[in-house]
Amino acid sequence: MPSIIPPRLTLMLIVAIVIYYVIILSLLKHKKLNMKYTLLWLLTGLIMLILVLFPQIMVKFISLVGITSLMNGLFITMIAFLIMLVMSLTSIASRQAQRITKLIQTQALLEKRVRELEDKVDIDGELSSDKEN
Amino acid sequence: MKRTSNILLMIAAYNEEENLESVVDNLIENYPQYDYVIINDGSNDHTAAICKRKKYNYINEPINLGIGGAIQTGYRYAREMGYEIAVQIDGDGQHDPAYLEDVTRPILEDKADYVIGSRFINKEGFQSSATRRIGISILSWLITILCFKRVKDVTSGYRAVNKSLIRIYADNYPIDYPEPEAIVDANMRRKRILEVPVIMKEREGGTSSINFRRSVYYMIKVTLDIIVCRISYGIRR
Repeated sequence: MPSIIPPRLTLMLIVAIVIYYVIILSLLKHKKLNMKYTLLWLLTGLIMLILVLFPQIMVKFISLVGITSLMNGLFITMIAFLIMLVMSLTSIASRQAQRITKLIQTQALLEKRVRELEDKVDIDGELSSDKEN
Repeated sequence: MKRTSNILLMIAAYNEEENLESVVDNLIENYPQYDYVIINDGSNDHTAAICKRKKYNYINEPINLGIGGAIQTGYRYAREMGYEIAVQIDGDGQHDPAYLEDVTRPILEDKADYVIGSRFINKEGFQSSATRRIGISILSWLITILCFKRVKDVTSGYRAVNKSLIRIYADNYPIDYPEPEAIVDANMRRKRILEVPVIMKEREGGTSSINFRRSVYYMIKVTLDIIVCRISYGIRR
């Protein structure tokens, strides 16, 4: 199949993907990203690179699904992928909200115990009554 | 604070500086047979200061968790302290403590696991606005259809639960608008739910947590909550 993507664009896309990886790696280096969540982004970059180097895959896939225009196919695939990413982010955010709730509750219960212990302690720093059972 | 009773009253308070004092003082003076705990849910008024000044038994949440998260804190406290019965009451004076005995008796007699104080059995006292009653009856019918369990006042926050449910709710309590979902959840766990008549007062001060604009959101969210909760238990009842 003759070149679907002009060579100049291919080069540009490869440069873009390299920059993408540099950004991810620098975020990782500065510990601003957890490896757990980064794997998804690394995988995304890899898929993008494969598609840029072998655009025939995309053409095959598109005709298989029944989309006629190459650009439409590209957009639909991208949007589907982004929706999945956002969904996984929402799920991560929900789980963190649950964990924060648990933490606040635990903190509040502990604060109560500390407060009551402090009230028991005399000014001298000795326990005024018998030990907490 | 040491445990002096088997029954814990959990008072969730979010910005209740106007009502809290009279509600809690009344409990301390006239109902000393019950233990109580106030859960200050990250209020940004003087609720915490009042609790501190009056030396109430209170838990101070640094951030507002909403009624579900606050009540769950209460259940965790109840489990930690080994209470047999936990009663939810509002800090705004809507719930008359005169009915505490009615609400806890079925549990003490082991006739129910979960008792709900209902405005709509004898239809006495403050009945809420007409639009809200429609919303409540829609949710009530939805629960009846899904669970074959008729509960009239599904949004009532005046509730008592026994030890088995304290343990469950300490680990897992619905968030945001928990009342109707909690009924479905308890029913699906084959707990015995009982409604007893109570008379509720109109709030003495402050504003209700559910205003008119939020009610549409409330209905949609709670309906979905109920359905999802029902589905996640499968066909078994």
